[in-house]
Amino acid sequence: MIATALTTVVLAVLAIGAALAAWQSRRWLAGRPATVGVVTGLRALPGRYLVDVHHVVGRTPFNARFHALVAGGFLAALVLLVAMGVAIGGSRILWLLLALVLAIMLAGALMVRHRRRVLRPRELSQGRFARLPLSLLGFSGCLLLVALDQSLGGVMPEALALVLIAVAGAAMADLVWGVWKGPLKHAVHGALHLAFHPRPARFHDGKGRDTGLKPLTFAPAEDARTAEPGSLGVERPVDFAWNRLLGFDACVQCGRCETACPAYAAGLPLNPKKLVQDLVAAMDSQASDAAYAGNPHPGRGVGKAHGGAALPLIGHDAMIHPDTLWSCTTCRACVQECPMMIEHVDAVVDLRRFQTLELGAIPGKAAVMLEELRATDNPGGRALARRWDWAADLSLPRLPAGGSCDTLLWVGDGAFDLRVQRSLRALVLLLRRAGMDFAVLGEEELDCGDVARRLGDEATFQSLATRNIATLNARRFTRIVTADPHALHTLRNEYPAFGGSWTVVHHTALLLELITTGALTVTKPVGRSVTFHDPCYLGRYNGEIEAPRALLDAIGVERREMLRSGLRSSCCGGGGGAPLTDVSGERRIPDVRMEHVRETGAAMVAVACPNCALMLEGVVGPRPEVAEIAELVLAATETAR
Amino acid sequence: MSSPAEALLKPLQIKHLTIRNRVMSTSHAPGYGSEGKPKERYQLYHEEKAKGGIGLTMFGGSSSVAVDSPAAPWNQISVADDSVIPFFREFSDRVHRHGAALMIQLTHMGRRTRWDTENWLPTVSASAAREPAHRNTPKEMEDFDFKRIIAGYAAAARRCKEGGLDGFELSAAHGHLIDQFWSPSANRRTDKYGGSLENRMRFGIEVFEAIRAEVGDDYVIGMRMSGDELIDDGLSHEDCIAIARSYAERGLIDFVNVLGGQARDHLAHAISLPNMSFPVAPFLHLASGIKREAGIPVFHAQRVTDLATAARAVEDGHVDMVAMTRAHIADPHLVRKLMEGRLDDVRQCVGAGYCIDRIYVGGDALCIQNAATGRERSMPHVIPKAERKRRVVVVGGGPGGLEAARVCAERGHSVVLLERNAAPGGQINIAAKATWREAMSGITRWLSQQVTKLGVDVRMGVEADRAAVEAENPDVVILATGGRPNRGDFKGADLAVSTWDILTGAVEPTGTVLMYDGTGQHHGASCAEFMAKRGALVEIATPDRMVAEEVGTTNQPIHLRELYKLNVVMTTNHQLVEIYPEGNRRVAVLRNEYTHEEEERLVDQIVVELGTLPNDGLYFDLKDRSLNRGQTDLDSLIAGRPQPVQANGHGGYTLHRIGDAVAGRNIHAAIYDAARLCKDI
Repeated sequence: MIATALTTVVLAVLAIGAALAAWQSRRWLAGRPATVGVVTGLRALPGRYLVDVHHVVGRTPFNARFHALVAGGFLAALVLLVAMGVAIGGSRILWLLLALVLAIMLAGALMVRHRRRVLRPRELSQGRFARLPLSLLGFSGCLLLVALDQSLGGVMPEALALVLIAVAGAAMADLVWGVWKGPLKHAVHGALHLAFHPRPARFHDGKGRDTGLKPLTFAPAEDARTAEPGSLGVERPVDFAWNRLLGFDACVQCGRCETACPAYAAGLPLNPKKLVQDLVAAMDSQASDAAYAGNPHPGRGVGKAHGGAALPLIGHDAMIHPDTLWSCTTCRACVQECPMMIEHVDAVVDLRRFQTLELGAIPGKAAVMLEELRATDNPGGRALARRWDWAADLSLPRLPAGGSCDTLLWVGDGAFDLRVQRSLRALVLLLRRAGMDFAVLGEEELDCGDVARRLGDEATFQSLATRNIATLNARRFTRIVTADPHALHTLRNEYPAFGGSWTVVHHTALLLELITTGALTVTKPVGRSVTFHDPCYLGRYNGEIEAPRALLDAIGVERREMLRSGLRSSCCGGGGGAPLTDVSGERRIPDVRMEHVRETGAAMVAVACPNCALMLEGVVGPRPEVAEIAELVLAATETAR
Repeated sequence: MSSPAEALLKPLQIKHLTIRNRVMSTSHAPGYGSEGKPKERYQLYHEEKAKGGIGLTMFGGSSSVAVDSPAAPWNQISVADDSVIPFFREFSDRVHRHGAALMIQLTHMGRRTRWDTENWLPTVSASAAREPAHRNTPKEMEDFDFKRIIAGYAAAARRCKEGGLDGFELSAAHGHLIDQFWSPSANRRTDKYGGSLENRMRFGIEVFEAIRAEVGDDYVIGMRMSGDELIDDGLSHEDCIAIARSYAERGLIDFVNVLGGQARDHLAHAISLPNMSFPVAPFLHLASGIKREAGIPVFHAQRVTDLATAARAVEDGHVDMVAMTRAHIADPHLVRKLMEGRLDDVRQCVGAGYCIDRIYVGGDALCIQNAATGRERSMPHVIPKAERKRRVVVVGGGPGGLEAARVCAERGHSVVLLERNAAPGGQINIAAKATWREAMSGITRWLSQQVTKLGVDVRMGVEADRAAVEAENPDVVILATGGRPNRGDFKGADLAVSTWDILTGAVEPTGTVLMYDGTGQHHGASCAEFMAKRGALVEIATPDRMVAEEVGTTNQPIHLRELYKLNVVMTTNHQLVEIYPEGNRRVAVLRNEYTHEEEERLVDQIVVELGTLPNDGLYFDLKDRSLNRGQTDLDSLIAGRPQPVQANGHGGYTLHRIGDAVAGRNIHAAIYDAARLCKDI
């Protein structure tokens, strides 16, 4: 009787849950088609879960532990319950086993309760999530009593057992039916998302670092009139590929992205968790953000946003305010932290593409910059020859078409900037000092297209990329070296889609190599306390966090680490065109980052990216010195004259 | 306007030559030559600018091409024989190493020189027209002179090329031989070299043609010329434009370096080298006028002292290269600071003219505010850190004390600066009150800004005594307590007031005033001008042969012009020997220096300027308590060694006195005292 009741309840709840999930899938299946390997994806799923997801979750051990206990216990309990349903009546061994897994789950549930009621981290969502400890405790606690009782032969009055089963069933229903806009949604969608992920290369079994951005195909001019409106970028939820929508739906509102987001920290109107939840909510036909129970986009309330699956996402009263969209620095801190492997930044760029390419709705100075870029192939609107003004006295060898050299130095648009010219000069002097065979492109070097792409101007990006690729492919060299991680990422990871593939090296890796091989000798160790600020596009985008540190160690700095460093470093605010869109917040992002620097007590912060140098040097008032790493290496390898 | 960097850090291409930016230093004569050669001191001086980021540095103002244009008398360069070539090679290597271009100026001075030096040859010119500035009447050039001098130009040009220089300019400015032919004021010939402008241009054209034949069309050759001689019988702006166009169109020159005025008399000389009484870039319009017509790059110098003005000159298209010659004497790292975004750190030229005034009396060019310029072998422009951090107390916030605090702070020491007054500056604050001398305050402004930036603990309004100094527990005490007016020891000296009293406003000048100046420096003349401008009827008396006799040739004419304009009576050759009262008024007794006859003046006020006497009270309070008993070891000081260690077993501080606190001298002396001592502390 007890077992039958239990099995009935379990099967009924699971059946309804499955129906809900199936119904739910209509929402994300409404997205645009995407090419996925169903079999390979499903086959990769366990590995991705056990390696990649656990790698993220494991960064907060307490959470990892309760999740393992609760999820493991719950899944095991469901399996056992279903098994008992098949083997009607069950055996005492099964009941004992069930009691064991429920006890495990109960322990986890108590931890969840402790977290939600006692620790109460700021980033947690309330609302539907607030009931979670109760449901977990109700299910595991009530059933544990029943299971213990049954394993002991059933001494409990039947009525009490049935009441306990009813309570447990209600709790289970609350949990399982949470696949419909509740906490458990993440289990189903998370699993599917892992299998059908839009950027499979990011997983341990993938190709490695890549871009998530798919090249847009532009209709030839004569077809423009017949081209489907809104085909460039994403206007409405249904314009996203279905597996991206699925990804948003996997969000469990844990708030790790919120904690990591530099824009959020500076009080810019962007909370990545809310952004994803806005996208999730927008999949409904009568969408609103009223049910959202987490922290808002800073400075903006909750409840005023409206939309729908086929309605524009971006707008002053739409689900996402333009300021939110343009606050993102594309630093991928959220992506790095997300245990559900959601690709926030790619979504942002997709949305920006529509704003930029279809509407021309580009805020701040970004529009002017893009115009200059289209007209002159550099963001400042200068003659390309002026990129080399700073190096007039260095007589840099130019690599002509058909020519060859060992190392091609890509200077980037920083060469137009007085501050960056200093670090480029240091780099050139170091290459000379080390006796490198290197050359530059001269006037043939165009902007790499990074900022255009992040701002959604895929057309300008592709125009620049294809011409740069043609220029580079007409020359022979062993490798490209650049001091600009944005150029590094673009050339290394984004140009291959357009037919350009070379070895691209960041100058920190090259300089380390030169010191290791003895081409450069450290003569004057720096001897000061220095902390290293990882550029997002070098660290998170390209996984290079060791070389700069080894380089700093080699030149004898007393290296200190910020709390947020390496792959979990915090952005300077200079990426993704954010300095151009210039959305205001409570503070400036670089000010927040400089606070992190100050916390180390270091006398100096070393940077390895022109944007970082400019952003951090722009912090006013007394602050630690900012030095580009090449400048430090130059001073440390000075030879007596 | 965009930033100065945008306009100035832009390369200039002249033929094969790329000049890395638009900032240059024009050829001048700092008096660092030795035996007619640019040796180490000369080269180091220019190398410092190259290190400091300058695009083009030109050396050797008026380097001579012929034996009758002497170079040695003012320690300049002779390119009249091949012995100079190795020095050029060494020089160009030194400058090129830092990425700058190097050029020289070649000239034949014609009548603008002296006959009674070096080779004792008569001077030559277009005509036998007397030149006032050098008091000589030249010989009119005859056929073989033309041949010889033109050959001399060509040979000198070859030596430049062989010496690895990036180019040169010929001087046809300030009244040198070529422009002596151009200017109707000096050329009265009736042959093919005189009369029409075309004829007057002929000699210069023949010179350039010979040079081109020697060094070829690829070598960069320029010409320095006036944009308007600013005299009635001289070249007008239109004449100058015509000349520039003509020479450029013939392909003889690749750039023209334009200035305003000429220099045949004292005032003209002062105007062509404008001091702080002039606005910035007073003759930029002349260069601009030539730029519009000449079709070749135009260079220009004349009181461009700040980068914003320089940027405007280039960005608005007035000139292609802007010369900041004196600005580089004040700060040879000007461009580097621009590149590093450290505009605030530029030590800006104040236009005191101290550098150039020294060379016209046979001295070497030295900067009133930068003691390292011209002394690169012994004095660093960038102060290195000391090995051991010390506690330094500096007393006195005048130029010497500020410089001592600055250098000590650059060395990494912990520095306290105590100043009695509410503001830093010392006597400069007083000097700057005298009308056009206001720009002197720039010296203080930079020093005090640097001192603040470097974290010196500056305490204003603090009267330092022994207890206050020793409470800081110093390792080194530097007394830069300055001086007080020397009121003289003649009878009735107490009836006079000092220039300080007047300029600080403590005493208002009224009625008739006798300004007695015993120093011949700026003080007396500028105070007289100040009083006259405030309505007093002023007579300035001096035992010297002329008012402001110690003031150099770019400043004294301005003093005289202003005093004449204000109807100040100038009485020279008279000593003040006594003052006695008559009612509320004063009688001054002046004695003629040569006849010893006495004259009297009945006036309302008598103001005297006799320099300063040291404020040495604190020094003598501290002297016996210091390790070194106040003695600065002069041999160590001159050799650039740290002062000898004085060990007495119980610690304590060493004590040094600098500037006017030792003996009344000038700003440069105070700053040099400070920098020379402190760089080794």
